[in-house]
Amino acid sequence: MNKEGQELTGQVWNLAELLDRIDNDQELLRDLLNIFKEDFPRTMQSLESAVAAADLKNASRLSHTLKGMLSSLGATRAAAAAAKLEVLATAGETTSLRGALDALGHEAESLVPELNAYMAEVHH
Amino acid sequence: MKILIADDEALSRRLLEKTLERAGYEVIAVENGKLAFEELCKPGGPRLALLDWVMPELDGPGVCRAVRVRSEQTYVYMVLLTSKGTKEETVLGLESGADDYLTKPFNAEELRARLRVGERILLLEDRLVEARENMRFRATHDTLTSLLNRGAVMDLLTRELHRSHREQKSTAIILGDVDHFKRINDTLGHLVGDEVLIEIANRLLGEVRSYDFVGRYGGEEFLVVLNSCDPAFAPTRAEEIRLAISHRPIQTAKGPLDLTMSAGLLLSSEWGVKSLEELLHQVDSALYQAKSAGRDCLRIASPTVRAEPPLAPLPQSVRLRH
Repeated sequence: MNKEGQELTGQVWNLAELLDRIDNDQELLRDLLNIFKEDFPRTMQSLESAVAAADLKNASRLSHTLKGMLSSLGATRAAAAAAKLEVLATAGETTSLRGALDALGHEAESLVPELNAYMAEVHH
Repeated sequence: MKILIADDEALSRRLLEKTLERAGYEVIAVENGKLAFEELCKPGGPRLALLDWVMPELDGPGVCRAVRVRSEQTYVYMVLLTSKGTKEETVLGLESGADDYLTKPFNAEELRARLRVGERILLLEDRLVEARENMRFRATHDTLTSLLNRGAVMDLLTRELHRSHREQKSTAIILGDVDHFKRINDTLGHLVGDEVLIEIANRLLGEVRSYDFVGRYGGEEFLVVLNSCDPAFAPTRAEEIRLAISHRPIQTAKGPLDLTMSAGLLLSSEWGVKSLEELLHQVDSALYQAKSAGRDCLRIASPTVRAEPPLAPLPQSVRLRH
């Protein structure tokens, strides 16, 4: 991906940037991926319930949590999708929530296999 | 150095924890603002804190405000972490009492550099506190002997007299004066005189309990205050304290000196409510009597019957009222 493309869409997982931030600590990277594997699906599920119930307060809180988690991991695009969802939930845009959640889900679908592939690679 | 991190999101918390551990910090990690505040309030708790903005229980700015409300404790350098980044939020964060502000995801090098700024501020605070403590000590202590100075001993005595009156206890005031001290200065010089005063101060301190106090009242006059002192034992105690000066020679650069001390004693319970000046005047009169009686003895200031001075050694059964 060229530089311009990055600015427009961001990467699914910016591993190089993450490694730079954590001083190439592979052990820490494994830790982070393990925490992600456990916390991400759980939080996504709660978020889905909150959106289904039009619970704006929890939708806002949970999308904020996801935004932090995803951006710490260098998942730029999914983090942006979570940020968008947070803005909408905070603003009370109930009708747009579903679409934003789907967009986040879509980003997660490209992210998670990439993370899994990396973990499998590291294990070998 | 200890550092507190507070973030409700496990992945970011782990990332921070590891980054800081690698930078040599002793990390305490918590998951909400309430726990963060509790950690920061513990004695010897961390003085550096990285606080996430959005947290359950108490948010980052809430922790900052709560910490800043406490006044007496040492300064805590607090950095807010957040993915928020508008100017309004930055201002709000700093107004809440945060010292710095970092947006996530942070770069490890930048984080470390900002924490070093925090450490510099804390070091500066330590130096100021140390300087203030030194000044406070110098304002209340005698430079030569390091005993309480006259002003400080009078303040403490005033407070102690109120307390003992309230609790219906007795405070014993002993005013001691080194006999023929002027001769030492005149014949052996001031430096030897100073040595003597320092040694006497140490001996007096060695004779009292940790909650009693000893002050330098004048040139060679020392005030010893025995808090909550049983009146029945006060004369014996006073005599022991007085004899601590004469029971063995004082070593000086010009050889050992045999010195004695005269003293006056007063028990606050015998005097009812009297001004500090009045009590000090009375104990000073008792000291004067001891000097007139040939020095190296104790006299007791009594409001009713002037107690006849007991012969040394002082009998255990001595009573102030007959």
